[in-house]
Amino acid sequence: MSRIFQIFIFFAIVGLMLGAGCTSKKGSENMVLLPVKDDPTISFRILFKVGSQNDPEGKEGLAALTAALITNGATQKHSYEEILDLLYPMAAYIGYQVDKEMTVIYGRVHRDNLEDYYALLKEVIFEPAFDEKDFERVKSNLLNYVQRTLRYADDEELGKEVLYEYIFQGTPYEHLEEGHVKSLQSITLADVKQFYQTYYTRDNVLIGIGGGYEEAFPARVKADFDRLPAGKPAPVPPPDPPPFDGLHVRIVEKPASATAISFGYPISITRGSREFYALALATSWLGEHRNSSSHLYQVIREKRGLNYGDYAYIEHFPNGGRRQFPPTNVARRQQIFQIWIRPVPNDARLFAFRAALRELQKLVDNGLSEEEFQLTRKFLKNYILHFAPTTMMKLGYAMDDVFYGIKGHHLEIFRKMMDELTRDEVNAAIRKYFQYKNIKAVFVTNNAEALKQALVNNSPSPIQYPTPKPPEILEEDKEIATYPLSVRPENVEIVPIDQVFEN
Amino acid sequence: MADRPSSSFFPYKYETYDLPNGLRAILIPMEGSGLVAYYTIVRTGSRDEVEPGRSGFAHFFEHMMFRGTKRYPADVYDRMVTEMGADANAYTTDDYTCYYLVVSRENLERVMDLESDRFQNLSYDEISFKTEAGAVYGEYRKSRVNPWAVLYEAMLNTAFDKHTYKHTTIGFEEDIKNMPTGYEYSLSFFKRFYRPDNVVLLIVGDLDVEATKKLIDRYYGNWEKGYVPPRIPREPKQRGERVKEVSYRGKTLPIVAVAYKGDAFDPDNRMVAAAYILGNLAFGQTSDIYKKLVIREQKVQFIQGDFGFHRDPKLLTIFTMVKKDEDIPYVRQEIDRTIDRFKTELVDVDRLEREKKHTRYSFLMGLDTPDNVASRLARFVALTADLDAIERLHENISRLTPEDIRAAAQRYFVKAHRTVIILKGEK
Repeated sequence: MSRIFQIFIFFAIVGLMLGAGCTSKKGSENMVLLPVKDDPTISFRILFKVGSQNDPEGKEGLAALTAALITNGATQKHSYEEILDLLYPMAAYIGYQVDKEMTVIYGRVHRDNLEDYYALLKEVIFEPAFDEKDFERVKSNLLNYVQRTLRYADDEELGKEVLYEYIFQGTPYEHLEEGHVKSLQSITLADVKQFYQTYYTRDNVLIGIGGGYEEAFPARVKADFDRLPAGKPAPVPPPDPPPFDGLHVRIVEKPASATAISFGYPISITRGSREFYALALATSWLGEHRNSSSHLYQVIREKRGLNYGDYAYIEHFPNGGRRQFPPTNVARRQQIFQIWIRPVPNDARLFAFRAALRELQKLVDNGLSEEEFQLTRKFLKNYILHFAPTTMMKLGYAMDDVFYGIKGHHLEIFRKMMDELTRDEVNAAIRKYFQYKNIKAVFVTNNAEALKQALVNNSPSPIQYPTPKPPEILEEDKEIATYPLSVRPENVEIVPIDQVFEN
Repeated sequence: MADRPSSSFFPYKYETYDLPNGLRAILIPMEGSGLVAYYTIVRTGSRDEVEPGRSGFAHFFEHMMFRGTKRYPADVYDRMVTEMGADANAYTTDDYTCYYLVVSRENLERVMDLESDRFQNLSYDEISFKTEAGAVYGEYRKSRVNPWAVLYEAMLNTAFDKHTYKHTTIGFEEDIKNMPTGYEYSLSFFKRFYRPDNVVLLIVGDLDVEATKKLIDRYYGNWEKGYVPPRIPREPKQRGERVKEVSYRGKTLPIVAVAYKGDAFDPDNRMVAAAYILGNLAFGQTSDIYKKLVIREQKVQFIQGDFGFHRDPKLLTIFTMVKKDEDIPYVRQEIDRTIDRFKTELVDVDRLEREKKHTRYSFLMGLDTPDNVASRLARFVALTADLDAIERLHENISRLTPEDIRAAAQRYFVKAHRTVIILKGEK
């Protein structure tokens, strides 16, 4: 075992289990501790079991706005300006992250400054001021993100978020975590206060501390958090996505000079089981995130130069354009299988989509060869070592283990499975969980009607390269260009960009 | 060769090791992680793109470095990197190009074998060269939707006349389109710039220094020196403010960039250190203007100073995103007032000390893994080929006085050396 995993992680958790169907023991310990003696810093991850799935109808974005306000606003003792002044010399921060199921308030500080920092962290969580001016500022930032940044400045992230809304239509997972324009506009400061009171309770928190803290420190933190008010929010119904048949397409129309594509479908598996790791291996072969080992990358980028990269996922991976390794504490009860095709020239959009779908079909039909299996197994066994090099990341993983109810540690099991799994198991998991017929796809592009017609008419989509290509590529291109697509007209929606995330 | 003791600022011991061919290696042992970060820093970036029509070529060439050698063709290279489970990638900046692999310690020699081979023996044909041009154009397309890319391109193009900082690292679109015709040029690019006397290895992590030095001798000892420094045009002195409005095809809040000409990075130049601190003091998260415009008046979504380090004199820039078009003149006026204040008044000593403390902790806290250490140091190593530069820079920072900050404000905040870019989106 590598030394990276030899740090002794011990769990003082016995109570609050965040996994679906688990019940928490009231008043019992609710901490994940990761002492690392040589680490001169201390990392905090304070996780509340509340996320965008708890947003009331018409108030989508409330969980995000609440977390944003308490971490970017005044406390009862200090104005926000004063908090910035106090944090600044420590080069420390208090950040937040909101996903469907959970909200994390996190930060890291050098041990020289632990006392001052912890005092501020407590204030932020226990005594937010809910200042009206802070509220206006934070709300306007979120609105700007949804209305302008996401709609216009990052088509790839836009495509992925639209895909999630498309797949989870009608479920508590449907809406973008940051909310929609109209719902954000309708949120009042009273809504935020109410939401905070309901969900930021001692029965709804999991406290994560890691790094070079003194032995007695966690008990102090525990005692402090026990003073939060009691309250056990009602569980949210499972986010069961509505079933669908065939290929469904949502086209986001905007004046785009390139087309971002994401497609996928829900999968009924989450981390922890043997089959999950088998599927993770297959997914890595098909499209390891931002890695040239990705098969889709080889087919679409390396051989054809159509874009910057092409990847596949079985777990949520937000902001993929800005990070190399998966984030933590975006754990979900329901995941999707997803393929991400980075922007391609508009005239190659259908070709690139067909190429990716065809590769998925080949994987489902043929499985992995012995050579592909062996290479990916070796790759992942070492590659996983990069997933959690820091105390903060290790802590995040340990907290996700609690959510998924994993006995032991996900990354250790992942590595172990790379020694244990057989090719037959991997190929069986591929046959069981992967398919290419019932798919929802999102295109962010211009001239949507032409794309719709090409899709429903199954029109061939040959492409012209600006540069020469070897004959075997051109031969394969003929098959890709006519790869059959069966799309019923009623299964294609065109949404103008300014209606996305609007109501 | 110098064995440096751990100093008061940089917390790790390190050793600088020079080969007769000019290659320099900086070795930083960090026990316990089991990992090694292997950074090859080529001191060539978009700054070195002096020939007309070749903007973006350093970045494009970075892509070509993954196209293999006769001994390890691209698919073999990829396979070996995959087998190691390396976190491997590369990036290009204005001043340097960086190739990195983070691997388990037992793979260090294999990485050195692979990396020394491709840096000495890169070989690719014209077809793969042309295909890669398509991927680069894809990279350009994906970032082009971002208003910041549009702003940044306009800012450099307006602020510079002669120096190659006139273009961004990704390059002008016309030049990117034209890249497939540059095969012969790419071969000369490799010959001139990918030479040991223009490269620094930065190796950080679970390593044995003496054994690593022997490996460096073996794998890099025969690499022939021959770096041909490009003749980078000097930027003439700017003699008047430049203001330009650019439009963005999409919706965004207006963005204003106010950029002043700076100095080349020099760790021993007190004004360079003072400018760096000045950027945060005047426009950072705890500055008066931030509190006024972001928190109290809420006229802007954010404001910040980017007063970074560059090999040649570049820009000290203030960026802000304004909530309403009609407030742009007011926001510009507030920026001017801040600048005037720093030019005439002395900053409070306590504030300066807090700034220094922030700089120290922020640097230290970033040094937690071999990869983070290497990535934090890469720019310094690229600019000076010398890790001591960090020590000297921070010593300089620690000695700064309020008078130094005022002197830096007077030196750099000169209206005639200013470029203002205002970006507006569609209504």
